[in-house]
Amino acid sequence: MIKRFFSLIFVVLLALVFLPLVTEIKPLSELGMTSAKYAEDGAAELGAANLVTSVVVTYRGLDTLGEVTVLFITTAGIGFMLRRKTILPEKKRRASEILKSGTSFLLPLIILFGVYIFVHGHLTPGGGFQGGVVIASAIVLLMLSDINMHPDHNILNWLESLSGAFYVIMGILGLILAGGFLDNRFLPLGEFGKIFSAGAIPVIYSLIGLKVGAELVGILNKLGREDK
Amino acid sequence: MTIITILGFLLIIIGLWGMLTRKHLFRIILGFSIIDTGIHLVIVSLGYIKGRTAPIFDADLSPIDAINRIVDPIPSALVLTAIVIGLAVTALMLVYVIQMHRHKGSLEISDYEELKW
Amino acid sequence: MVNPIYIFVIALFSAFLLPVIDKLGRKVTLGVFYLSLTAIFAVTLLWFRAFGEGALIENIFTAGSLPPFSINLRMGTIEAFIMLFVNFGALLGAIYLYGKLLENKVYALMLFLTLIMGVNGLIMTRDIFNIFVFLEITSISLYALIGIKQDARSLGAGFKYIIAGGLASAFLLLGIIYVYRITGNLNLDLIISENPLLLSKGGLIALFLVVVAFLIELKPWPANGWALDVYEAAEPGISAMVASLVAAGMVFVFYKFIPLLPHSWHGMLILFGMLTFVFSNLTGLKQKNARRLLGYSSIAQMGLLMAVLLLVRRFNDAMDIRYALSDIAAALFVNHFLAKAGLFWLSGIINKEKARDWSFNKQPVLVLLFAVFIFALVGLPPFPGFWAKWTLITKLAQYNMIGWIVPIIIGSLLEAAYLLRWFGATIKREQTEQVIIPRYKILPPLLAAIVLVIIFPSFAPYMTGMKTMFFFPLLAAAVLWLLDVMPERMRGMVMILILAAFGWYIYPLAKGIVLIFEFMFIAGGIVISLASLNSARPKQGYWEFLVMLIMSLALIPLAKSSMEFFLAWEFMTVSSWLLILRGKNGEKPALTYIMFSLGAALLILTAFALSFAETGELGLVLLSNLNIYAIPVYILLALGFLVKAAAMGVHIWLPGAYSEAEDEVTPIFAGMMSKISLWGFILLFGYMGNKVLGIFELPVLLGWIGVFTAFFGALMAVFQEDIKYLLAYSSMSQLGYMILSVSLLSHLGWTTALYMSVTHLFFKGMLFLAVAGIVSRIGTTKMYEMGGLIKKMPASFISVLIAIIAVSGVPPLSGFGGKWLLYTALIEKGWYLQAGLSFFAGAIAFLYLFRLIHTIFLGQLKARFREVKEASLWYIVPQFIFVGAIMAISMFPNLILKPIMAAVETQFPSHVNWDGYTVITALGYWNGNAVMMITMGVFMVPLIWLLVRVNMVQKVEQFNIVYAAERPDRPETTHFAYNFFAHYQKAIGFLVKEQITNFWNSVSEWFHSLSATFRHIYTGNGQTYALHIIIYIVVLYSLLGVK
Repeated sequence: MIKRFFSLIFVVLLALVFLPLVTEIKPLSELGMTSAKYAEDGAAELGAANLVTSVVVTYRGLDTLGEVTVLFITTAGIGFMLRRKTILPEKKRRASEILKSGTSFLLPLIILFGVYIFVHGHLTPGGGFQGGVVIASAIVLLMLSDINMHPDHNILNWLESLSGAFYVIMGILGLILAGGFLDNRFLPLGEFGKIFSAGAIPVIYSLIGLKVGAELVGILNKLGREDK
Repeated sequence: MTIITILGFLLIIIGLWGMLTRKHLFRIILGFSIIDTGIHLVIVSLGYIKGRTAPIFDADLSPIDAINRIVDPIPSALVLTAIVIGLAVTALMLVYVIQMHRHKGSLEISDYEELKW
Repeated sequence: MVNPIYIFVIALFSAFLLPVIDKLGRKVTLGVFYLSLTAIFAVTLLWFRAFGEGALIENIFTAGSLPPFSINLRMGTIEAFIMLFVNFGALLGAIYLYGKLLENKVYALMLFLTLIMGVNGLIMTRDIFNIFVFLEITSISLYALIGIKQDARSLGAGFKYIIAGGLASAFLLLGIIYVYRITGNLNLDLIISENPLLLSKGGLIALFLVVVAFLIELKPWPANGWALDVYEAAEPGISAMVASLVAAGMVFVFYKFIPLLPHSWHGMLILFGMLTFVFSNLTGLKQKNARRLLGYSSIAQMGLLMAVLLLVRRFNDAMDIRYALSDIAAALFVNHFLAKAGLFWLSGIINKEKARDWSFNKQPVLVLLFAVFIFALVGLPPFPGFWAKWTLITKLAQYNMIGWIVPIIIGSLLEAAYLLRWFGATIKREQTEQVIIPRYKILPPLLAAIVLVIIFPSFAPYMTGMKTMFFFPLLAAAVLWLLDVMPERMRGMVMILILAAFGWYIYPLAKGIVLIFEFMFIAGGIVISLASLNSARPKQGYWEFLVMLIMSLALIPLAKSSMEFFLAWEFMTVSSWLLILRGKNGEKPALTYIMFSLGAALLILTAFALSFAETGELGLVLLSNLNIYAIPVYILLALGFLVKAAAMGVHIWLPGAYSEAEDEVTPIFAGMMSKISLWGFILLFGYMGNKVLGIFELPVLLGWIGVFTAFFGALMAVFQEDIKYLLAYSSMSQLGYMILSVSLLSHLGWTTALYMSVTHLFFKGMLFLAVAGIVSRIGTTKMYEMGGLIKKMPASFISVLIAIIAVSGVPPLSGFGGKWLLYTALIEKGWYLQAGLSFFAGAIAFLYLFRLIHTIFLGQLKARFREVKEASLWYIVPQFIFVGAIMAISMFPNLILKPIMAAVETQFPSHVNWDGYTVITALGYWNGNAVMMITMGVFMVPLIWLLVRVNMVQKVEQFNIVYAAERPDRPETTHFAYNFFAHYQKAIGFLVKEQITNFWNSVSEWFHSLSATFRHIYTGNGQTYALHIIIYIVVLYSLLGVK
């Protein structure tokens, strides 16, 4: 009880600490110096129509590499934590006919949609992470509809490893052939707004999409069943 | 967009309260997720400029007058990273809870107090 | 130069590909893994070397744009330095975990690589959001790696860790996004240059959130229960990394943010760092679990490091800040990094939870490693921590931040208390089972220890100005250690040769008073050491510590700078402590001894620091120029030397230390080491003379302390049952006389002190050696168990007889001269009360001296000693060298008095005249020669008469006693020698009740119960720990006063 009381007091006090952040800081009315420069030169420099993608994949590419790493660590960590033999969950109910038919109909569409999202990441909203998540959702659907279906561990591993390794190689190519690590301009920038444009951004985003998809599937797979 | 900011902070406080008072491990993790969501809301809200559009160039938005027409692209980029990291931490917490449950069969935080002093 | 980005490339590339490579077999995977870590280390090594050759700071840009538009990294000297250790530690840590990595899934290798990459990134990146990303990479890898050990405890600890880490990241993220919102960019350097933007209320809160997140990552007291749990429960290889390289990354990030912090925050943050240092160490006092203990110590050290990083900001001079960073912060960092990682690794090898279950004293490798790490952590020379503390305290004094010295001293003493207690107990505990040491597990701590030893010269900035000879004690000990294969006596001979050579080497450097001290230390040391040759049994560490002790004693008077003095002083402290620890029951007395000695050393250090602050130089001569700090320096030095002299009130370490040390060592303690405090006073008075505080003349005060020490020492000696305790108290009493006479600040006073000091060496050497010889034969030190040994050990008897005549100060032997000089000097100065009390003390001395000779040699011989032989020649020869010396100076006092007087004359004008063998003062004269002749004559007459009558004595059989059919419960109580002075005990015993011992015991008790109280905040509940963090944040926020 005393702890609850203390919790209440200090959470309220913490809220008071935060209060000036809401009251003192006015809503943004103009771009800051960094984003202003992105708005002015970003498109011309990197050739990507989606400015957020430019920021994510190139300007702050190191963050994104880190982000992919975090996801990767999580997969590894979950695999590591669940390394012991575990009791299999009780029998699951078989999926209904509707789910099954729906899945076989939707599956290719969802995967296609996912691929579309990450391939067009430099042009439209979306990108590797979003596309990867969509693809993973397709696999989840598959796993739900067929309880005996489990993605092949090996394929997932290879997919994860190679897409990750190629991502790093892209980074090095930028370092060697262009201005710096993860610079996308070692490939031609192409025509602005077209699918083959923005240098290596679509390539990188595709790799990220594959990796994220593979990793999310891997996580679900590991959480869902015994892992030897 | 102050209202979103306020909402974000509200979520942070609610999540914190949950984290500090719920005894069940899953609820503590839930509290943590709520904090995370709140922070993401705050991040996005800070990049918003009233009346402006998304920073994606197309037929309507040319790079020439972009500086006066788009919202800040950086918070959008940052929040992406933050979301992924939040997901990662949450997943790892859940795995910890699974393992803790396997070793001790309890999901109460107060059952994991043998290390102290 | 290799682009440091390749560190990430190497780590990520192998991490990504390892699961695929693993298909080829675990050996291949491990090969790639170790190769990657080596490559990363090699890259940092190249950079570190480049900076050593004068390379400039390099900024590494990514994405082909310049910051702030892209993320940039920085590689500078400091970065390269920290990363060098981080990646070295990573390699060692990976080797240590070899077994675990082999048997676990490949994920562990991947996580390890990403962890290292994360820490490297934290150090290099200059983008604040990127810091967050690398922090998460580090933390998440760590969270998963903690799960390498899967039991409820480890998992529970890991979960608490995630909650705390998650909270810290949440606040960090909020802070970062607001910093971005306010400054419009994420580049740290740009933010620093546009600092004023952040000085609004919102900006300060944002900054506060960022900083507090890193404070939490540094595990501040008291919001750190989760970290302690991880240290305790996780696999030791992981704990080692948390304590060393992860902590290194966090500290460095904190360091990066310091330029952003408003100056008004510094004081409070320093305070919080110091609180962590003091209270973590305080809480550690009660800790029984070895790894949790190490956890407390780690947290404390991080607190200190954090405080130091802020403290150096207050130095005005940019050059000073740079040197302070390298000499203090870097030294503390390296010291802690290697020592703590090493101790965690060691704890994994020993694999015992409770500190009291550690025992490995038959495995020298483990003992050596344990010693190196513990000594380094405590800050003993020559390890970097020693130099760091020296520089820190002198610099703090120089910049007028004397207040901060206090928590540093208290925290250091508390830390020393539990670490050295642990060390002593572990070394003394008899090993029952062999510790199995896998080769891959011993390699990392071994390398860490080696680096710790060979690296110290780079952190010893004052070494350049120091004479090499101040490192000779260490060198001599090392040489003797390497000669371990030799037969024991041979090693002893080598040691004596080393001493002789050393004496020959320093002879030209010593003159005047110094020469007298050197004579005592070197000549006395050689003679007394002879006795240690009596046994051929191997004695681990004995000769090493002995030579170290004697050489450092000899070096102290030769010190020209305070640094030299302090270094030699610390060498002396450590070696004597280890010698006490070697004694059979040495554990407890050794701990008491080292605590008092370290306390004294820190007082002396503070005094030197103040002197440096005022004069700007280290020379001891400059003590005489002091003005502002004269009184504090005077008092601090005097207190330090009083502790070393075991003056009344701080004497409680002495009896145990003297008595429990091995019998051959005690004469060195009593005869030689005790004199070093006298040298201290000579130094103090010689340079600083008389000082007045209020209405008190300080030397008068010291004189009173001396006379009370003499009085109570004698009184306590009277009531001892143990012969070594008796002699120990007697030494204390004699030291009291010396303090008294040196405080006179007159020619005669100093002459007395020095004269007494030399003769005391002779007769105390004889007495303790005689006791050592007797004990070696009869195996007891209790006086009531002895008796009647006169016929069995005539040579020892003669030596004791001569010695007690000399001690008691009756004619004709040298002690009389000492007493005569003392009373003359006291009366000349007008200190009549003191003269009276010391005369009384002299009378008491008769009591215990009489008891000494009576209970050992006179009376009836115990049945079980009927076969006892005279002590071995190794004991008798040095005793008779001293007997000869006493006889010589008693007959011809001018042999010694003249050089002493000449030496003292450089300080004070002399009022003493010589006429042949006669010393003439204003009050009278003393002709030692004539006194000797007359006394001898008086003595001879009854002797001859007795010899004639000896045949008429009737012998009584030993067992011609009747107990009236009663058998006593405690047979010793029926012995005449037991409770010998019961009547005096009744009369004046109340004076020697153990009030002072009780006082110090209660000090210790008080600290322990305080420790017990404080550690109850660590309830073990993860949620409570989260609440602690929230409370910490709110409290710190309100104290910082963000406006």
